[in-house]
This record gives sequence, structure tokens and C-alpha cells, in this order.
Amino acid sequence: MRRGSLQVLILAGGVLLAFSPLSSHRPAAGGPVAAQGETAPAAEPEVAAAHVAAPGATYVGSETCLGCHDTLDATLARTPHGSRHFLEIGVHGCETCHGPGSVHVEDPDVEAHQPSLERLSAQQQTAVCRSCHDGREQFFWEGSKHARRDLSCLTCHSIHSAQSNDGQLRLASDVEQCATCHKDVRAETWKSSHHPIREGKITCADCHNPHGGPAEKMVRADSVNDLCYSCHTEKRGPFLWEHAPVRESCLTCHTPHGSNHAKLQRVAVPYLCQQCHANTRHPSTLYDARNLPTEGPTASNRLVERGCVNCHSAVHGSNHPSSPYLAH
Amino acid sequence: MAENRKHAIFAPALLLLGGLLLSPAAGAQGMVFHLDPLVLEILETDVDSELDTFQFRDNPSRVESAKFSEYRDLKSGFRLRELHLWGEDPDGDRYFDFRGENVGRQDARLGLQYGTWGGWSLDVDYNKIVHRFGNRALFLWNITGPGRFEIPDPVQAQIQGAIEQQRAISPGSVNYAFLLGLLTPYLDAANTLDIGLRRDRTDVGLDLGTLGGLGWRLELQHENRNGLRPYGGSFGFGNAPEIVEPIDYDTSSAELRGEWSAKRAGLQFGYRYSQFENNISTLIWDNPFRATDSTDPIAYTAPGGGSIGGAAMGFADLAPDNHANLAFVNGRARFAGNWHATGRASYQVLTQDDPLLPYTLNSAIVGVDFDGSPFDPTDPANLPARNADNEVTVLNLAADVGTTFADRFDLDFRYRYYDYDNDSRRIAFPGYVRFHGVWEEIGRISVPYAYRRESAAVELGWEINPTSDLELAYELRSWDREFRETEGTDEDAVRLTFDTRAIPNLTLRTSYEIGDRSIDGSYRTAAQEESFLAHGEPNNHPGMRKFLQAAREYHLWNVMAMYLIGDSMSLTVTAQGRDEEYDRSQFGLRDAEELNYGIDLGRALRPGMHVNVFANREEIDYRLLSRQSGATPSTDPRNDWSGDFEDVTDTVGLGFTCDGCGRWELQVQGRWSQTEGDLDLFSPPGGTPDLAFDIPNYDDVELLQLDARLDYRISERVSAGVWWLWEDYDIDSFLTRGLVPYLPAAPLLDLVNGGYEAHVVGLNMKFRL
Repeated sequence: MRRGSLQVLILAGGVLLAFSPLSSHRPAAGGPVAAQGETAPAAEPEVAAAHVAAPGATYVGSETCLGCHDTLDATLARTPHGSRHFLEIGVHGCETCHGPGSVHVEDPDVEAHQPSLERLSAQQQTAVCRSCHDGREQFFWEGSKHARRDLSCLTCHSIHSAQSNDGQLRLASDVEQCATCHKDVRAETWKSSHHPIREGKITCADCHNPHGGPAEKMVRADSVNDLCYSCHTEKRGPFLWEHAPVRESCLTCHTPHGSNHAKLQRVAVPYLCQQCHANTRHPSTLYDARNLPTEGPTASNRLVERGCVNCHSAVHGSNHPSSPYLAH
Repeated sequence: MAENRKHAIFAPALLLLGGLLLSPAAGAQGMVFHLDPLVLEILETDVDSELDTFQFRDNPSRVESAKFSEYRDLKSGFRLRELHLWGEDPDGDRYFDFRGENVGRQDARLGLQYGTWGGWSLDVDYNKIVHRFGNRALFLWNITGPGRFEIPDPVQAQIQGAIEQQRAISPGSVNYAFLLGLLTPYLDAANTLDIGLRRDRTDVGLDLGTLGGLGWRLELQHENRNGLRPYGGSFGFGNAPEIVEPIDYDTSSAELRGEWSAKRAGLQFGYRYSQFENNISTLIWDNPFRATDSTDPIAYTAPGGGSIGGAAMGFADLAPDNHANLAFVNGRARFAGNWHATGRASYQVLTQDDPLLPYTLNSAIVGVDFDGSPFDPTDPANLPARNADNEVTVLNLAADVGTTFADRFDLDFRYRYYDYDNDSRRIAFPGYVRFHGVWEEIGRISVPYAYRRESAAVELGWEINPTSDLELAYELRSWDREFRETEGTDEDAVRLTFDTRAIPNLTLRTSYEIGDRSIDGSYRTAAQEESFLAHGEPNNHPGMRKFLQAAREYHLWNVMAMYLIGDSMSLTVTAQGRDEEYDRSQFGLRDAEELNYGIDLGRALRPGMHVNVFANREEIDYRLLSRQSGATPSTDPRNDWSGDFEDVTDTVGLGFTCDGCGRWELQVQGRWSQTEGDLDLFSPPGGTPDLAFDIPNYDDVELLQLDARLDYRISERVSAGVWWLWEDYDIDSFLTRGLVPYLPAAPLLDLVNGGYEAHVVGLNMKFRL
């Protein structure tokens, strides 16, 4: 580790030590302070749901809830929250998530007593869900990008009016759901060169875990390249002759959400290659309109169709003893 | 496209069998089944392709652009558009869900989910993905076996003879016009191929429930990728035919994962094995201009006035088999004082040990060993190693520790470490065969490039008030590289984020980030000589800075405002920008700018009726500076040239949905996306080049799509509908506009994958049973 990162770690450790006595006096998560709206997840669903309950409220049972909210039971059918398993772990039924409802039942019109999770802060909403959903896909939620930007589970998911086949999303697909914020990415998927996202063959969640992850950009692998190799396994290597920037990041040359240049290239060949290669002779040669396919005898096979890759076919790496220049 | 083999039948059969076996079992236990919906559809498709130059086509009017069906199968005929069979368990214990899309088509997808809530479960996903590159490729070769493309010997001999004869008359007359004339009759009679891939992918997940206090999950995956894709089959600068690469890949993987979970802590651990097998590991293709092996002095210009030599066959090593083993542990914990921690440690071993091919198949070439003794380069026994023996180990560590304090603050520390350690042995070769045509007596040695990257970040958040948050973050990103131009780079990044909902109905999210990267030590252009046994003077320009390693400064900003207008309307405005400046690079990428802004408007007109429109503009601008050199790197600034690469993309969309209009349901979607690409090139006068000519059609693309679906509910269980899709696609790419099957030194596939106008009409019946 070099000097710079060591300094940061020392700094981080110092800050950590400096703050830990201060915060160690605070009650544990799920305790009284958490019940008043702190960010830590609660230990039990009922405790987390206490955020939404009116003071002094007691449990009335799901049948009482369904007496008025008579359509909501159907919305849970065929979902985990409508299963018997849920009743086993969430013994209070509706009130497992919504908190005790007696005060609301006494006067349903008082808005402040309505046990809607929508009234809670993002952290409080999330705490209710994470009292069960804290492993598997949601393992890395805490500290994740979306958590830190104050998104909650309910930002994307709906328990009672989900529109998607999987994941109980608010919208019909995760691509649509993600596009509510990531509109630039949505536009990119409509470019000429694209992964089959708009055709529905892969989705955002195939590559990213929106609940967070330890790697950059919440990708479902330890690195961008490891993710790409999960489909493009033939490029995983290692090869006899390597192309170093390929190993460092596929994003060196490709833009995965869409491009108007073939093969999701950031810049069209041969100029993409010339961003790094100004070698003597042909790599540094200017290829311009005089070398286009329409120019007949002056067209250059280093520009047309696949550019440099017309000859350097094994640009991702080669195993051929005669291919140090990644030709075949 | 080549049809896939047993796998294509195996996976859906497995799914069907699983469904059949599971559904009676489920039924016997009281599950009630529903088929809702079942949608049968008849399609009528008409594609009118915009053809470029097809002087050799037999009947161009009926050639369909492969772009229309790039990732889908919408040809005329019947399809089972949707099938959903699901079970309802009166006890609420179990679930059964079987889905099918586009059944009977090349883009079919089947999915099965069966299990008990909170217990075990099985999910299977079978996904067929087509990827078409081009139709009616002109292919001079006959595919005579896996990885073997042949031109009949008499044809090769006839062409070689004609070239020899012409050269004897006048070497200078063996030129483009002559070769075009020579090839034309053969191109006229060439094979045509539809080029594309088919992926058959099966994912199986089995949740085993809780065993021994741990939750267990087994994941299995298999994919076969089969078909052809374009490939460069070059014999040198003067003869670079475009051919196809035969693809028959099998990728299999298995992962077993365990999870332990408690109130304040959790642990995941697992092991994953992945194997890639290429069923066609070598490619041999005939040289269209030569029937017999010979050597060529430089292997650059043949066939031409300077030389007509070279190999009778080209010889490529296709992607080698490889293996990956990964073990990982993830942890999470909550501590007193609102502290939380998550982390991951993983260790991966990547191996590849394919047998090495001989240097060449060209029997006329004589290799020269280290001691100067001749050897036969077509014999793999004369290689310094018989196998690649490559191995990489990757150690990955990630940790995130955070807390909240003083009611309104939170603090987060992140650390990531990724060490790509290439343990492959270095293999020294006495030389190599250049372009299948000549022994190059230049000793080379393989280079096990490796790198290690670390990042450490601290993020401090302040909840200014219940509706507004501010965050300040600092991150240091460090790279250490082996055998590269830089030994290390450090990048400091500072980010400020502000989010607020202080104004009623308005959510505002903003961020700004600035980064500065510096090189640790010097930039070593001579790194390119690492693969040479005897290091010489580097021929990359000393002023070139490869942008991955170059010093840079970047600015990144993001604004998003979402405004709810009453109960029924939402307005979202977004803008993002990124500017990377490589001012300290004399040559190479100098600047990369991206700007993206857009607006979205959605409105619920009444229950069940919704309309939305959006517009988005993206401006991408890259600037490159280079210097053209001859035999040695030029020092004359008049040889400079620069390129300004600009893409401006406008995307507009609209959607209208009415699913509460009595018995009618209507969905309309429209998309228009247009890119204007422009490449401005400049070179000062007096040097080489002394002029530069712009390329205005730097990939201009336009797509207009209208998609309308109207359904009428005849009864509770039956609906009838009509679907109409219209697409108008146009592409003007500088790389392909005006392509003909033979350009100088390049017989091309001349794929049909350009513009088109397509109409698809579908009539469907929907059943709910």
C-alpha cells in the first residue's frame, strides 16, 4: 500500500476512534431512541413498526383491519406477505408492519393516527422491512449508495399494489423502475448498439444489485470485469498474450448501457485505438474521409468496417504463439 | 445461423418435465391451478430494408436487415406470446408459478418457481437470446468442418495463376482494379450466410431451506452459445479478408452458498466454480489469393506489385478453455452506538492451460531458434512450451463501517482492495510468424500484466433538517501496475451531495464531484518493450499518455428535480455532466465531455388512464491529439492531427395506457432516438498529413418506433386484441456506408444490417382459465 492510501486509513481510523466514545453512549439500535426515529433497524418487526403507531395504541388484529380495508387482503395473495409463513413470523398480521391500530380504529379520520408507512422517514420505512429482509439480496443495504441517498424500500417496492411479476416493484419491470431516476441510462438503451435490455432479455438487476454491494456501481461481482465475464466467459483468459487495458476494465473501450458505435464502443474504431496508440507507421496515421468505403481505390482497410480489428482480431487476448500483436 | 444441438431441447424439456412432475404433486396437496393468461398470437411481418450497394446480390429486394431482428424473433407466423400457469394454495404454504414468453420462437423464455414460503424453493429460468449481426453475408469459403473454411483448390490455383501471370506482365498492374476484376466472378457466385449467435441459457436456483442453522442455496447455470460472428482473417496489410468466427461455447457454473443470520449479524459464504469450453478451438481458412505455401519478405503487401507470396491457409487460435474458482465470505454486523459494518473477502483463481498451436501451418517457412538453428515451425514440438499454463489469482477485500452520531450526522468509511496477481509463467519465443507469411526473428516473451487497486473513502452526512441532507465525501483511488507505463497512479476525489424535500411536493437531488489523478513516478513509454527479449527504442510517441494511466482532472455533476403537481401529475427534470481533462497529455485522449439533460412528464388522467412523455438530450465530445510518424517517432509538429468526436443524441418518448376503459384496454408507446455524429479532423499544413478531411457521418442513427396494443374483453375469461408495431431505422455509418464486397485488400462480408422500415401486425386471443 502506498503512502496516500495509508494516510487515509490512518485518518479514517483516527476519526473512527474519535467518534466511537461519543456514540457509544447512545442506546442500542431498537431501543427507545430508535423507536423515536433513529436510523438503526429494529430487532423485531413490531418494534420497527412502532414508528408508525399512535401513542398508546394496542393491537386489534387483522380481521379488524380488513373490516374496512376489505380489498387489501387480496393484494397480498400469492405474495410472501399473504402466506401462512408470514403469519408465523409476523404474529400481528397487518399490524406487524403497520403497528398497533387501536387508536386509528377509534377515530379513523385522524390523519396523524393512520398507520401508513408512507408517513415515516425513509430510514424508518426501511427499518420495518429490514427487520426481516436483512440477508440475501439485502445483505449490503446499510451504507449502500441508495441507502445514503435516503431511498427506502418503498421507493421502489409496493406491498399492496405491486405491478411487476417479480420483486413486487411499483412499476412493471425493474428497467422502468430504475429509469424513474436513471433517465440518462434509459436513453442510452435506445441507442443502436445495446445490450438486449429494451427487448427484455436482460434487466438492470441482472448486472446491478440495487440493494447495494461491496463492489463499484453495485455490480453483482467483485469488479466490472468479473461481471462481464459472467456472460462473456471466452474473454476471461488469462491469455498467453494479454492486452493490458482489457484486464483492467472492459469500460476502457466499451460503454455497457448503449452506444451509437458498433460493439458498444465509446469511440468508433480506429480512433478508439488511437487514443492510446500513436506508434510509428500505421497506428499513428490519420484516417480521414479520403479512406472511407465510398472512396473506392483510396479506401483503407484500417478504417472500414472493423477498423484496426480487421487485422488485430484477438484484441481481447490471444493464445497463439505467433500473435504478440493480437492478430489471431 | 447454426441451429443449436441437444441443449436447445434439453433445457425446455427439463422445465416441462419439472412442471409436469411438480404440478400434479402440488395438485394432490390441494393446490388450485389457474392458467392466467394464455395469449396466442398470429403475426404478419413486413420488413423493407434500406439496401446499400449490392452489385453482387441475386435478389436484393427481399433481403431483410438483421438489425430488425437483432435480439428478437418477430417473423410472420404463430407464437404463444404469454403463458402463466400458477397455483393457489388454500393453506398459504406453497407457491407454483410457471411462465412462458414467445414460446416456439428463437427468443423464448420459460420460468418455473415452486416452493414453500419460508422453506425450500426451486426456480428455473430458461432464456433463449438471439444476436444477429447481419444477413446475406458474402462468403467465398465453404464451411467444410468445425473451424475449417475452404475454397476449392482449383479456384485458389486459378486465382494464384492469374496473379502470377499478371505480375509477370507488369508488377504494378497487380492492383485493386485487377484484383477486383479477378474476384468478381467468384463473389458473384459466393455463398451467403446469415450471421448471428443463439444463446441458450438455463439458470437453476435451489433454496434448500435451513439446515444446521444455516440457509443454503445451490445455483447452477449453463449456457450454450452457438453460431457465427464476423472475424478478421488477415494475411497482411494487402490481404485482410473479413471472415466469420465459428462459435460453439459451453459455459457451466455451480455455486453453493450458505447464510447465517442473527438479529445483529449475518454471514454469507460460498464457493463458485465456472468453466468455459470452446468446442471449436482453432480456425483454419484458405487464402483466396494463394493455393500453395510460400514465404513473403515482409508479409505486408501481398498480393500486389511488391509481393504475391504468403500462406495458403490462415491459422487462428480461438478462445481457449478456461476455469474460475471463487471462494467468498460476506459479513455484516451492528454494534452498540449505531455502528454497522459490512465486508467481503473473496479469493479467485483463474486458469487457462490450452495446448499451444504451432507457429504456423505455412510449410514454406523455416523457424530460427535461439541458437540460430533452423526448425520446422509447423511442428508444435518445436515450441518452447506445449501449454499456456496461465494462472491468475485475485484477492478481493471490501469493508464498509459506519455510524450515526449527535442525532443528525452519519459517518461511513469504505475500503476496497482488488489484487489481480498474474502468476503465469513467462514463455520466451525465439520469434514468430508474421501474418502467416514470414518468420520474424525477433525474440518475444509473454507478459503477465498484473495490477492492484485500492480505494479508501470517508463520507460524512449531515441531516440539516428532516427534509434536507448534505454529504461530503473524500475518496482516494490508487492503482499499482506491473509491466505498464506507470507503476502507480493516485486519484483524489471530493464529492458534495445535497438532497432536499424542503419545498412541498419537490424532491431535489444534487451532487458535484471533482477528481485529480497524478502519476506516481515517471511515465515509462518503454514499457511496450516488455514483450521483447531484446529491448529496443519504443515506437509509441514519447508524448503519448494512455488515458487509463494519464494524469487528469475530472468534474462530475448531477441534478434531479421531481415535482408532484397535485395528485395526478409529476414532472422530473434531470441533468448530468462529466468532464475529463487530460491537459498534461501531449498526445492521446485530451478531453472527454458528456452532458445529459432531460424532462419527464407523467399524468394520471383518471383511474386506469395514464399518459407520460419524456425528452432527453445527450452530448458526447471526445478530443484526440496525435502525431503521424514514419519509421521513427516524429518530432515535427506539422505532422500533428487532431480529432473532435461529437455525438448528439435526442431521445423522445411517449406512452398512453388505458386499462379501465370499459371493455377496452389500450397501450400506446412511441420512441424516437436520433444521433448526429460529427468528426472534425484537423492537421496543420506543411507536414504529413498536411490536410485532414472531416467525416460528417460519424455514425448517424435514427430510430422511430410506434407500438400500439388494443384489447377487447369479450367475457371474463376471453379477450381479443390487435398489436401493431412500426419501426423506421436508419443508420449512416462512416465505417460501412458504401461498402462493397471487395475494397482494396479486403474482401468483406458486406452484411445486410442497415436501415429498414418494418410493420408487424399481431392478432391475439387471451384466455384466463
